[in-house]
Amino acid sequence: MAMGVLVVGSIGDIGLVGLAQRFRGQDVHYLLTGQGDVVQLGRYGVSRVYQLTTGIDEYSFSETLTDLVNRGSYSIIITPVNRFYRTAVPMAAQRLSAPLLTDVIDVKPIDNELEVVLNSFGNRAQVTVKVTGRVLLMAPPARFKPSENPVNASIEPLQPRVVNVVKVVSTEGKAKGGVRIEDAELIVAVGRGFRRREDLKLAFELAEVLGAEVGCSRPIAADLKWLSEDHWIGLSGRRVRPRLYIAIGISGQPQHLAGMMESRTVVVINNDPNAPFFRNCDYGVVEDLYSFIPVLTRRLRDILKR
Amino acid sequence: MDVVVLVKLALDTGQLRVSEGKVDVESTPLKVSDIDRNAVEEAVRVRERVGGLVHVVSILKYGPIQRRLQEAEGLLREVLAMGADDAYLVADEALIGSDQSVTAKVIASIIRRLGKYDLVIAGEATVDGYTGQVGPRVAAELGIPVVTYVRELRIEGSRVVAKRDLEDAVQTVETPLPALVTVTREINTPRIPTLLQIRAAVRKPIGKLTLADLGLTLKPTIKVESAVPMQVKRRGVVIREGTVDEKADRLVQALIQEGLLTPR
Ligand SMILES: Cc1cc2nc3c(=O)[nH]c(=O)nc-3n(C[C@H](O)[C@H](O)[C@H](O)COP(=O)(O)OP(=O)(O)OC[C@H]3O[C@@H](n4cnc5c(N)ncnc54)[C@H](O)[C@@H]3O)c2cc1C
Ligand SMILES: Nc1ncnc2c1ncn2[C@@H]1O[C@H](COP(=O)(O)O)[C@@H](O)[C@H]1O
Repeated sequence: MAMGVLVVGSIGDIGLVGLAQRFRGQDVHYLLTGQGDVVQLGRYGVSRVYQLTTGIDEYSFSETLTDLVNRGSYSIIITPVNRFYRTAVPMAAQRLSAPLLTDVIDVKPIDNELEVVLNSFGNRAQVTVKVTGRVLLMAPPARFKPSENPVNASIEPLQPRVVNVVKVVSTEGKAKGGVRIEDAELIVAVGRGFRRREDLKLAFELAEVLGAEVGCSRPIAADLKWLSEDHWIGLSGRRVRPRLYIAIGISGQPQHLAGMMESRTVVVINNDPNAPFFRNCDYGVVEDLYSFIPVLTRRLRDILKR
Repeated sequence: MDVVVLVKLALDTGQLRVSEGKVDVESTPLKVSDIDRNAVEEAVRVRERVGGLVHVVSILKYGPIQRRLQEAEGLLREVLAMGADDAYLVADEALIGSDQSVTAKVIASIIRRLGKYDLVIAGEATVDGYTGQVGPRVAAELGIPVVTYVRELRIEGSRVVAKRDLEDAVQTVETPLPALVTVTREINTPRIPTLLQIRAAVRKPIGKLTLADLGLTLKPTIKVESAVPMQVKRRGVVIREGTVDEKADRLVQALIQEGLLTPR
């Protein structure tokens, strides 16, 4: 099949070019949102850049993307993952009558087919899918590393097709914790076992002694808003792979496990001996966190001399 | 106001069956995808406030159809018991393993046949696919506005006013009806039906349809080759006995042995 590859994203999503490069011998073009160094894109073999400098809503973006894909006859479209793209890209995919595969790990073009490997079934399985024809792929950019292959990138400003159907009445910024939990080597994660926001202090003290970051289950960030969303681990939050993951007062539902399965050593602290997390841990302690964590923190402070 | 709510009968990913190193999809049980219960709850609340009907639409994605039909009906009765008025279940061999563009086309076709609808509610994402694509796809197919990740919903005359939960902001938006919204898990707490409601649900209609009934022929665009479960071997050492101090000691010793802590 004829394949032109279009990567979509900001300059920070350049990692996706690494996935695009697996389609050997194909031209790679980039729909660049916002400002960015076009020369840098050229260094990784991107030969054409469409630059969209105005911020538009998801609906308009989906129309703009659909037009561009049709105009350039792209058969592979690669996009980053966030709630903006999760809204805009499926609409474009529907207009293009094409499948959208998310959480992509790898692609292998074989003759007229494409084999795509992705995480699915709630991140509990690696699924291999065969596709013929146009396809949209969504993946976290940090998963891939483009290699150098310098070309001269041409640049073309892209006029968006703006459709005003949804009116934004107001926008309220959310607090950011400034953590990059995805990169943490050591994580202390907290869940609903904590009764009050102030009590999270216990986890922060433990984390400090260990030099760990604090993560959390969905209800702590989404429901209770005790921590900002960059702490949220799981299927709908961040995926982490630390050397040590200490889960405190988290029950261990499959959607939480989906985010931390790749941790090397997992420690679970829960006062319910039947908590599902105990079936997925290396070391578990059945104990009330309120009596256990202060003792553990003190012990660690002694031996680590911190 | 007539509300359509989209309910997926998803693979229960907490109970994936495995045989010969592969996920055995056919013998894995189905469940109502969690967030779709929030969608049903919200639909019922809208009807309670402004009147109308709540229709459930569900496209069966996992075979074998003959065995799944009964399972699917039982699950749909659960959401009917929550207060929905009727349900449409599309079960057809051609839909097993199909991609979401096909699902969306079938859903849109049913919604169009209903004739009258004001609001379509879907979940933020399913527990098995977790792609969140079907909502926006259905909106694109129907040519109506979409508002995703809604955690607060109000109907004001012929408009929807909604609060969207985005990564870095909470956005308040409004759009005219008919529209499609996708709701988050935080929007409400789904009700647990009473015994009486469960009994009443037995008599509510479930329309079973095939693609032929809808006059649709759809060709597959993807083929699932295999699904390999991610299995992680864990030590599973659980410390149950002893005082708090003893437990802390044992844990610290274990972490030292794993090379995760170096005493100074
Ligand atoms: C589509 C979808 C996506 C989701 N995505 C995510 C996600 O990304 N991340 C996520 O985390 N969840 C996610 N969820 C939610 C998930 O299913 C669970 O509801 C959630 O993980 C539960 O959080 P929790 O373990 O903190 O709370 P609970 O399940 O309420 O568990 C609290 C635990 O604390 C223990 N506990 C209570 N008191 C104490 C004490 N004094 N000492 C010690 N232990 C105590 C209890 O025994 C219990 O096990 C998702 C759900 C859906 C449907
Ligand atoms: N097979 C289906 N039948 C009915 N509704 C569905 C189906 N698949 C997905 N949906 C709806 O679309 C939402 C998002 O699904 P997904 O794109 O699979 O994450 C779900 O929460 C449902 O509301």
